[in-house]
Amino acid sequence: MALLEARNLKKSYVEKRRLIAAVQDVSLSIAIGEVLAFLGANGAGKTTTIKMIAGLIRPDEGWVRIADRDPHRQPQALRLVGAVLEGNRNVYWRLTPEENLEYFGVLRGLSPTVARQRGRDLLERFNLMSKRRTIVQSLSRGMQQKLAIAVALVHQPKLLLLDEPTLGLDVEATQDVKRLVREVAQEGCAILLTTHQLAIAEELSDRVAIINSGEIIAEASTTELIQQFSGSTYRVELEVPLDVDRMHKLERLGISAQTGQPIVVSDVTTLYQVLDILKPLPLLQVQKDQATLTDIFLTMTRKQNGHD
Amino acid sequence: MIELFRAELKRRWLLTRRYAGESIAGILGLAAVFYGLFLSAQYVAGPGLHFGSRLDAIVVGYVLWSLVVFILGDIAGGLQIEAQTGTLEQVFLSPFRGATIFIIRAIASLTLRLLLTIVMLLLIMALTGSRLSFSPTLLLPLLTIVLAAYGLALAFGSLALILKQVQQVQILIQFVLLFILALPTEGWSGPARWVAWMLPMSPGASELRAIMARGEGLDWGQWAIALVNGIVYFAIGLSLFNWSERQAKRTGKLSGY
Repeated sequence: MALLEARNLKKSYVEKRRLIAAVQDVSLSIAIGEVLAFLGANGAGKTTTIKMIAGLIRPDEGWVRIADRDPHRQPQALRLVGAVLEGNRNVYWRLTPEENLEYFGVLRGLSPTVARQRGRDLLERFNLMSKRRTIVQSLSRGMQQKLAIAVALVHQPKLLLLDEPTLGLDVEATQDVKRLVREVAQEGCAILLTTHQLAIAEELSDRVAIINSGEIIAEASTTELIQQFSGSTYRVELEVPLDVDRMHKLERLGISAQTGQPIVVSDVTTLYQVLDILKPLPLLQVQKDQATLTDIFLTMTRKQNGHD
Repeated sequence: MIELFRAELKRRWLLTRRYAGESIAGILGLAAVFYGLFLSAQYVAGPGLHFGSRLDAIVVGYVLWSLVVFILGDIAGGLQIEAQTGTLEQVFLSPFRGATIFIIRAIASLTLRLLLTIVMLLLIMALTGSRLSFSPTLLLPLLTIVLAAYGLALAFGSLALILKQVQQVQILIQFVLLFILALPTEGWSGPARWVAWMLPMSPGASELRAIMARGEGLDWGQWAIALVNGIVYFAIGLSLFNWSERQAKRTGKLSGY
């Protein structure tokens, strides 16, 4: 069942007397417990779309429903939304983590007691308990980001909007954020995630939507999309140089192999024949030609922009 | 709503306590400016000058002005700071209406500010020798002034929502407000009286001067006019703020700075 439904969203702005179409016709849906990676270059319309979903920007056309409620007309729909917005501090820097959690909890409609309790639980879960009474300003960037996510979760939203949640974080903090995103999705929260770190999107998402110049150019399950763009070839790498005898045998299979270069095999049947020839040479790796989200993203956006 | 007020009060109290230096410096600064003006006036007029009830009226006007400027700065200034630091959108992600949140915020901070204002008032009275009467009825005209001040603050907040930078206008308006609040409209008659009734906060300020500086009782007729004045300005401010919120969401300028 789709928790978020956004249909035919359009938004244009007037900039220096020119009408700029930021979002042209975007439709998205996310099911309970699903992570949708929303990918696009800077200025493609990701943030405008997220803000239209969150009720912060009114669409010129189209509609948004969160659990069948319109965030633009029914403010109660916002009880179901948590958001960490890119480029924003998202929390008060002069307050401590526990004060922020309590304040934003009440602002999202919780009682102070419940907000305090949930705040404590989240601080423990996010490993921020030891810093609960430190002014946010004094926390590391990673901790501030974890706190922003905790604050977005304090009212237990059904939909979490994460705009570049790992931007500027170090490796350890990025791992922490990734773990939290996975956990929150497993608990049944629908997550809309934007990131320029496509490896992270690939790792975390169930589905991918690619936006280019305000239009969705691809939307599919992450696995299907990767399969669709992946080839059927295999690459075999050896730890030792290939001898002449084996090189000839490979040539008879129609494979041109060179010393020091990976052996490229076109299908799985030939792969086993190749492995028989190579036995017992030590193998470094056998790898299927697998597309990454980065390859797919670049292929699709370049195609759309007429580069190819 | 009560819980939101308590949360705002707690947030304000934490910030006031944590950054006590800023709050105390503000109060001492305002008291010092008034004392400076008072000493200058005494020096220019010579040692024989006695202000009498006029001094009390001026003190009332000045303290009121500081309160109104605070209310004005609280909503508009708060909005500008939050847009700049990036927490404004999180505030608007609440199921509460934007205007409701900012009014509750302003009431919470006014509650704390009133305590500081009383300290400033006592400080000015000690420095200048002014003697004011504190009748409980003064709360009624004060309410009308606060209502109108919130109306103006919301109007400025609406400007801040759309333009994001209204510091220059805010500075300018502070002097206009000082003029309005200190204007002795009590003696005005004919069409000028109508003008006095329509000026923001002016009927309430005049009633407050009558009670605090001249020790008179509350004139219910005048107070009714002051109340209408307060309600009208509040309603205008609220409508403008709601309109600006819709406009900012339409143009995507809620967070832009």
